[in-house]
Amino acid sequence: MSDAVAQQAEEKEPEVDLSIADAVIDKYIDIPGNLMPVLQGVQDEYGYVPRIVADHIAERLNVYPSQIYGVLTFYAQFHLKPRGRFIIRVCVGTACHVQGAPRIVETFFDKLGIGHAETTPDLRFTFEKVACLGACGMAPLAMVNDSTYGGMTVQKVGEIVSDYSQRPLK
Amino acid sequence: MVNLTIDDKQVTAPKTATIYDAAKLNGIKIPILCHDKKLKPFGACRMCLVEVEQMKGRQIPACTTPVTEGMIIRTSTPDIVKARKMVLELLLLNHPLDCPVCDKSGDCDLQNLTYEYKVNSNRFKDEKFNHEIDYNNPLIERDMNRCVLCGKCARICDEIVSFGALTFIDRGIETKIGCEFDDALNCEFCGSCISVCPVGSLLARPFKHKARFWALTKHTSVCGFCGTGCNLTLGVKDNKVLTTIYDENQGFHKGQLCVRGRFGYQFINSTKRLTTPLVKKNNRLVEASWDEALEIVAARLKGGSDVAALATPRLTNEELALFKKLLLDNVGTKNFDHAAGYAHAALTEGFARSFGASASSATIPDIQKCDFLLVIKTDAYETHPVVGFEINMAVKNNGVKLSILSDKKGKLSKLPDAVTLVHRPGSEVAVLNAIAKTILDEKLADGSAASLSGYAELEQALAAFDADTVAAQSGLAAADIKKLAAEYAAAGKALILFPSGQPYTGHTAELASAVANLAILTGKYGKEGCGVLCLSEKNNSQGAVDMGFFAQDGGMNGLEILEACTNGGVKTLFIAGENPLTSYPDRTKVKAALEAVEFLVVSELFLTETAAMADVVLPVCSFAEKEGTFTSTDRRVQFFKPAIRKGAQTKTDFDVFSSLIKRLGGQAPASPAAQFAEIAAGTAGYQGLSHVSLRNDGAFAAVAMTPALVVPKAAAPIVAEQGKLALVVGSALYHSGTLSQYGEGPMHVCPEGYIEVSRSDAAAGKIAENDLVTVSSATGSVQLKAKVSLRIPAGVAFAPYHFSEAPVNTIWAGQPVTMVTVSK
Repeated sequence: MSDAVAQQAEEKEPEVDLSIADAVIDKYIDIPGNLMPVLQGVQDEYGYVPRIVADHIAERLNVYPSQIYGVLTFYAQFHLKPRGRFIIRVCVGTACHVQGAPRIVETFFDKLGIGHAETTPDLRFTFEKVACLGACGMAPLAMVNDSTYGGMTVQKVGEIVSDYSQRPLK
Repeated sequence: MVNLTIDDKQVTAPKTATIYDAAKLNGIKIPILCHDKKLKPFGACRMCLVEVEQMKGRQIPACTTPVTEGMIIRTSTPDIVKARKMVLELLLLNHPLDCPVCDKSGDCDLQNLTYEYKVNSNRFKDEKFNHEIDYNNPLIERDMNRCVLCGKCARICDEIVSFGALTFIDRGIETKIGCEFDDALNCEFCGSCISVCPVGSLLARPFKHKARFWALTKHTSVCGFCGTGCNLTLGVKDNKVLTTIYDENQGFHKGQLCVRGRFGYQFINSTKRLTTPLVKKNNRLVEASWDEALEIVAARLKGGSDVAALATPRLTNEELALFKKLLLDNVGTKNFDHAAGYAHAALTEGFARSFGASASSATIPDIQKCDFLLVIKTDAYETHPVVGFEINMAVKNNGVKLSILSDKKGKLSKLPDAVTLVHRPGSEVAVLNAIAKTILDEKLADGSAASLSGYAELEQALAAFDADTVAAQSGLAAADIKKLAAEYAAAGKALILFPSGQPYTGHTAELASAVANLAILTGKYGKEGCGVLCLSEKNNSQGAVDMGFFAQDGGMNGLEILEACTNGGVKTLFIAGENPLTSYPDRTKVKAALEAVEFLVVSELFLTETAAMADVVLPVCSFAEKEGTFTSTDRRVQFFKPAIRKGAQTKTDFDVFSSLIKRLGGQAPASPAAQFAEIAAGTAGYQGLSHVSLRNDGAFAAVAMTPALVVPKAAAPIVAEQGKLALVVGSALYHSGTLSQYGEGPMHVCPEGYIEVSRSDAAAGKIAENDLVTVSSATGSVQLKAKVSLRIPAGVAFAPYHFSEAPVNTIWAGQPVTMVTVSK
């Protein structure tokens, strides 16, 4: 049956190249407890964990597909849908909250046309509210991928969105 | 042993016990939802909290805390009761209170505990869950709204079944039990998850809204499908078997069942059952009285040696013994057999030559006690699923090393560190001989082996089975063969399993001897955890052999009987419960034989295609309507009583045979118990057994062995033919013989025949999953659904034999391997 499921998945996501996943699996195949690094590795490669890749990992590591899904849904770090090129994270922790984070979040929602944990259809932006980014002195705080933006204002939101909209997708 | 005090009572418990085990052992009940004695402790539900004096101020979960010397435990102080009450309040917060329509009501742990702890109000408020109920399969309903997240279903599916269909998904309040990507359940449907569910989250759909639990009468019985000999508890109401009920204390398998045992019972009360005798008049079968039917049969049985009989090994020992007596003493014929003859040759020829006894030298419990397990063909899982569970547990819990020698991979290949050697179909005897040769060459044999009879001949014959030569023939690596030999010989306790039965024409006497040689050469038999276990197919296959219901002293065997029907040597054929038209090889020949024979009488539960050809059809009883004994594949003799009354116009086979004996002027024993007394007196290993002594528990019939080394003839290697696949026939997981076709459960999940082909052969023939393909061999062709499977090597195909529609015996004439073409 899992074969049939795999076939269906293949039809749905024809663009997934399993050789990339194989390279990651090969790297960890002999290490006990390799499921986490493999899942993290494939997510780094594909940006998310496509179903066909999850099934492929199950087959190669001889782990139940259900168990892999359990792990994928337990940890917030894993994503089952494609993610944007630029991940915007806005802190809504206590310090940022009192400094006006809700308004920053609202403005991002407006400008991007998406909500929390959603991705724009062109796969450019993914937006996430996060609990704390560990830099409360810079509140309200936002991050785009690895760049940090402290002292956020509504104006700066517009600047960030238009800046990253110009950047190449690849 | 450890001494401790529970509720002011001085008790002792084994060192490894938990507080929960120790209490249970000493008759003290601690409430629990997440514990099953077959599963590892989990500590999820928090119902089993107790107070331990040495750990004052804390409430300790009894199910995960090991006992220590001098522990003073209190299981129901006011504080504990209060804590448990709160646990229940919290569980009931989200659990829907739909007990009036829930099938679990009456058997529900949560309901019972709520009642016991008088939780009649709830201090908390929250919304109920709104999960979609999974109705996507016909057997298991999953309602996650009722779930208490004890995890027993997910754990049993992993720890025992090793399928892993269910797991915890998501996190926090969203956590639920689900399948991968939250799909609908699609598994092997053994229903183990249902058996352990403490609430109504997992329910057997065939039983849904059939009866309240407390309205059922519970009857213990023995499963009537495969040779494992699992014990069953049948739930009966209004003389109908409505369900099977889980009992964790039942049998060696502790209540664990497979899809057939749990969901295959519907054949007992099927509307298709024969209800009255039928006699052929003007070429049509018309209803007749028993007197009329038996009179005709008795008259025909006076033919002496031109009478022959085939009986199913699903009959009880008593019935088989009585049938044999009827044939030998009253009819005067030696021509009788069961299961086509070759299907039991592993026991009656192979083991008889090698061990001097037609029985396996090991038992199913040995699986858990060995260090090394060699499984020939992965089909052990398919033919005997509960034995498969035992293998899973042995590997996972006891660290047993598992090696598999097979023509295809299977579920067992996925177990941790399992080594699977996939050889070309039909070459297993050669490979086993090469292993034997390696054992001799590398001086791994037991010192006493050289003095056994046949040693010199074997040594000489094995010269042709050099590992390199056999490797080339079988497609294996010589190093792998040698490694397997070394590991087997080095293991302290090693056990070999192999399946036999009607589809395993390759598993003949030769295979049994080849396997036995390994055990005898290394001295690994007749000891705990050692030996060879032939997994014979039907519930009483071993019993039929023990009763001597097979061709002996010049009598014809099953296939010879059919041959003689065609050429006139046999004029009257009595078929008791067999369905040769579907289950014997070469359908064309079988059909010709049944058409040619002058008089055919069939005693059956159903009007099978074989019964439809008969001159007289006698309606008989299923195992649930009679009493008697079955002997399991490991020679466990088990007694069972009727669970329901038989139909007004049906008789047990026992009654049929005894009326015939009387009509032929003979004397029959008064009852199955009397017949069993005769059996016990005259059958090796059965001495001292009686229906009374077997009433509560089965007993192993002892096997006395006189080992000898025999030269097993290996079949010539299969020559690959361009454009053809090597077809091996076997059993499907969901079925057993042709009987399971009348069980709704098995037919829901596996309704028709199929052929499994490898991905590469499928791609080459442009065959997709579920395509209807034509499979042709030298003897005929048949249309089957295609299954594209990872476990099948290129050039090989697999088809199960159970199905009357699209019967595989049209293309399979009994060879171990059949070359077939598969086309769309």
